[in-house]
Amino acid sequence: MLPYNLYLFFVFVAIDVPSLKCGDVVHLSASESADKLEAVPSLSTAAVSSPVPPVDTVFSFSLLSSFPEDLEVSDYCSDLLHIFGQRYVAYVNCLVPAARPVKVCQSCYSTYGSVVEIYKNISSDQMGPGNVTCRDSLLRSDRLMLVYQLYSNLESLWEDSNCAQCVTGHLESLTNDTLYFMSTLNQTLTCFEKYQQGNHTELCKNCKSAYGTLNVLYSQMEQNSTLCIDIEDAMNMTRRLWSKNFNCSFPREENVPVIAVSSFMLFLPIIFYLSSFLHSEQKKRKLIHPRRAKSNTSLMNIQDKLS
Amino acid sequence: MANITKKVSWSSRGDDSALTGEGTPLLNGTEIPKPSRQLSGSGSVFRIGRFSTVDLEDDITSEEDPIRGRPKEIPHNEKLLSLKYESLDYDNIENQLFLEEERRMSHMGFRCLEISRWVICGLIGILTGLIACFIDIMVEKLAGYKYQVIKENIEKFTEVGGLSISLILWAVLNCAFVLVGGVMVAFFEPIAAGSGIPQIKCYLNGVKIPRVVRLKTLVVKVIGVICSVAGGLAVGKEGPMIHSGAVVAAGVSQGRSTSLKRDFKMFEYFRRDTEKRDFVSAGAAAGVSAAFGAPVGGVLFSLEEGASFWNQMLTWRIFFASMISTFTLNFFLSIYHGKPGDLSNPGLINFGRFESDSVAYYYYEIPLFMCMGALGGLLGALFNSLNYWLTIFRIRYVHRPCLQVIEALLVAAVTAAVSFTMIYFSNDCQPLGPEHNEEYPLQLFCADGEYNAMATAFFNTPERSVRSLFHNQPGSYNPLTLGLFTLTYFFLACWTYGLAVSAGVFIPSLLIGAAWGRLCGILLASFTPTSPIWADPGKYALIGAAAQLGGIVRMTLSLTVIMVEATGNVTYGLPIMLVLMIAKIVGDYFQEGLYDIHIKLQSVPFLHWEAPATSHWLTAREVMSSPVTCFNRIEKVGTIVDVLSNTSTNHNGFPVVVQVLDSDEPAKLCGLILRSQLIVLLKHKVFVELARSRLSQRKLQLKDFRDAYPRFPPIQSIHVSQDERECMMDLTEFMNPTPYTVPQDTSLPRVFKLFRALGLRHLVVADDVNRVIGLVTRKDLARYHLGKHGLEELQLAQT
Repeated sequence: MLPYNLYLFFVFVAIDVPSLKCGDVVHLSASESADKLEAVPSLSTAAVSSPVPPVDTVFSFSLLSSFPEDLEVSDYCSDLLHIFGQRYVAYVNCLVPAARPVKVCQSCYSTYGSVVEIYKNISSDQMGPGNVTCRDSLLRSDRLMLVYQLYSNLESLWEDSNCAQCVTGHLESLTNDTLYFMSTLNQTLTCFEKYQQGNHTELCKNCKSAYGTLNVLYSQMEQNSTLCIDIEDAMNMTRRLWSKNFNCSFPREENVPVIAVSSFMLFLPIIFYLSSFLHSEQKKRKLIHPRRAKSNTSLMNIQDKLS
Repeated sequence: MANITKKVSWSSRGDDSALTGEGTPLLNGTEIPKPSRQLSGSGSVFRIGRFSTVDLEDDITSEEDPIRGRPKEIPHNEKLLSLKYESLDYDNIENQLFLEEERRMSHMGFRCLEISRWVICGLIGILTGLIACFIDIMVEKLAGYKYQVIKENIEKFTEVGGLSISLILWAVLNCAFVLVGGVMVAFFEPIAAGSGIPQIKCYLNGVKIPRVVRLKTLVVKVIGVICSVAGGLAVGKEGPMIHSGAVVAAGVSQGRSTSLKRDFKMFEYFRRDTEKRDFVSAGAAAGVSAAFGAPVGGVLFSLEEGASFWNQMLTWRIFFASMISTFTLNFFLSIYHGKPGDLSNPGLINFGRFESDSVAYYYYEIPLFMCMGALGGLLGALFNSLNYWLTIFRIRYVHRPCLQVIEALLVAAVTAAVSFTMIYFSNDCQPLGPEHNEEYPLQLFCADGEYNAMATAFFNTPERSVRSLFHNQPGSYNPLTLGLFTLTYFFLACWTYGLAVSAGVFIPSLLIGAAWGRLCGILLASFTPTSPIWADPGKYALIGAAAQLGGIVRMTLSLTVIMVEATGNVTYGLPIMLVLMIAKIVGDYFQEGLYDIHIKLQSVPFLHWEAPATSHWLTAREVMSSPVTCFNRIEKVGTIVDVLSNTSTNHNGFPVVVQVLDSDEPAKLCGLILRSQLIVLLKHKVFVELARSRLSQRKLQLKDFRDAYPRFPPIQSIHVSQDERECMMDLTEFMNPTPYTVPQDTSLPRVFKLFRALGLRHLVVADDVNRVIGLVTRKDLARYHLGKHGLEELQLAQT
């Protein structure tokens, strides 16, 4: 079973990929730091040649590493960085519980908005207090570009989830379409709940109209491309409930007519070929004897046989 | 008059003795057989020991002698040569008219000719591209409409019941399309049936297949192929493109259409077989190139399958035509798809691009690929054998047009029924992908949001199915679906090829191959659960497709290049080449290629590259036809008319002999003249007496011969009065004064080589004093072939 393939698990794809990346990043950085841990003592032993425990070396190393004033990040920027961190954490905290069933758009659009806002501040080239821009110092000073990477991960997540389709332009509220869909969905689910206990045939009969409306609405939204992951996932879950759990798909109950018709059609060629074999006159070819110098092989053959 | 007719009638029952005994003074060739017979008689005694290798079905030969004279009737089989087919005149006739014209033509004139060759090639490319575009769009529209209707119907009836009605609807729609195509082909132009590749192959080999490059054929072909693909048959539209390209080329290069009775007075110089043949090979290349988006593949296809005559300048021109054709198609398709100017999506069949990470293959996969090649060869041989028997049955029993149409309809209906049953009982449900690869997803009994995987294979035009087999992600098909699909489609395709509809076999072969190839990929991945990444099913689908196609049509070089170009991926060059090689080797062990089988079954006198291997002991004396009907250099009109109108001997070339005055010496060869030339001469009444009386009469020019080309009127339509019969005709100016001759002891392979390399139509066998003793034609050479028991001889038959 390959989850990439399943539309039902679309959300997994959406979440899996970045999380995998994150995993990679973490793993990488961990191993790198491990390398450093090993490398640093060997350096120090070589240089100082005194058996100091490695942890201490690192510690003292980090203590020593303070740069002159003008290269240091300004207070303003580090404040921004701090806020970015908080909002980022808030957003991720919101995302993770909303992973299954997917509610990332509905519940987290506002926190996403705040992250976007602070990132805008960081990346804008307007001067802050003290005539500093934080864009260069925070975003592009090093190879890793951590802040940028973090943000772009979130952004691609947002894009993959298509949340923009369900949220109004300035990330203020959910669109009316979405709300309407949610209410229709709720009706269907209520119906499911109501009849869930007894016989499922009852459910199939009674909830058919609600489910049908939902399906129609969904396919309309699909055509208008106003779908986001929340809606897709909700629909998938409902469809799965409907088809798999309650078994309300169409049964295959016309075997006999289908087999009858198709075997009738299969039978026709047999009749056709038989009748043309029996009744059609076979096409004969008239042989022509070419004019040859009378030397020919027939003669030789006879001689051949005689000898 | 009756007397003369009798004398010159060299009918098939020709009792040589009577004729030679009479020794008609008109035909000097008549006296020849006697010495030659004696000669060869002694030769045969001399050679007896070696003849044991020849198997000449003893029953027939021993029976033959007593019956000789009565036409014998046998059921059609592959060991026949039809009299229907004639040769094309690829050899240039260097008579005096030709020399005169050449003298008259200025240096500039030759320049212009060269330029107009290029212009014609460009036109061929453009027109072929346009036709391809038309076919593509029409098929897409019609098939789209059909599938939409059926899909809606199925959706409706899934809910309320009555799916058998959908099945009937599907079958009826299929039949309706196929009916149109079938009627067109069976009643209007039977030569347009099938893929047309065998016919073009024969044409380029030098066999004149009647009506093969006519405008009517083109129209029927194009409409026919649209109908058969839209009608859901297991066919492709690629083979017919090649034929269409060839027809376009033959038409354009002549600057006129005999069917439409329009003469544009252009390109008159090209109105002869030699020039036309070059353009037809360009047309075939342009067709391939438009069909697969493979310009180089097109050129190589022409080289491998078609052009028996080749040179470097021609190659370059053909390449030009191919390239133009591909990009014309691209350009117009880009307009159709709403992206005008985008030239990057070539080909009627678009295999799509293989992503770079799925194309990776490793050295340890090469043996696997080669095994698949062998499997492809086996399956291809099986396909060909089944189709061979079916075709024989069809030729023998299903030969009436209405029966052929009914057969096509039945195939269409059964195809629909089988497809529907497969889809109906399939349990393979796959979730709809976000990108909607599936053109017409059918849900049927699958859960909501899923589609029936069998339907992507069956409920689609074949080439879309190929694409989805190549490109859908791993897991979109389960092995059972693929297995069933391969099995069904194999038999359907095999059954369909050879019907009286115009349709190609490329796509069905690719589809069968892609299905079992993908199956192989899936199974391999399941055997090695630890590292399933290398066994990408799409990759194996491609290899399987190549193997299957190679196993059926047995092309090597051009097919490799076509596949590489169509997938846009050079990395696969090596495995595809290996696979095609193996498939050909394995397949050839059991059965010939499909096209060769069909050429054989059509009783075409086809000359292969080489003479049969064990034929060096045969000499021209045994091969040639003898005695030969000859004309004197100054011949009586009556004689000529009688010889030409003799229906039992439909000779086309006549050696011209000259009798030394007042001597007993036999006549000597001095030239060769063709039937077509004689007819033109008779039509223009170029008689010695008339020339004397009417001095003002215009001299006949080469143009007059070209105007009559290619449909020379039959002799019956030319009226020659009783007085004119007594006139004389001087052939000196018009005959080919230097025909190729060989001595009578020349071995068959030598004759063959000469014939094949120069594209000859007649080869005179002369003795040491230049007397005509026989004439070798294509049918004399083509009748020898290497069968299972050594050298065999084919029989001539009237078809």
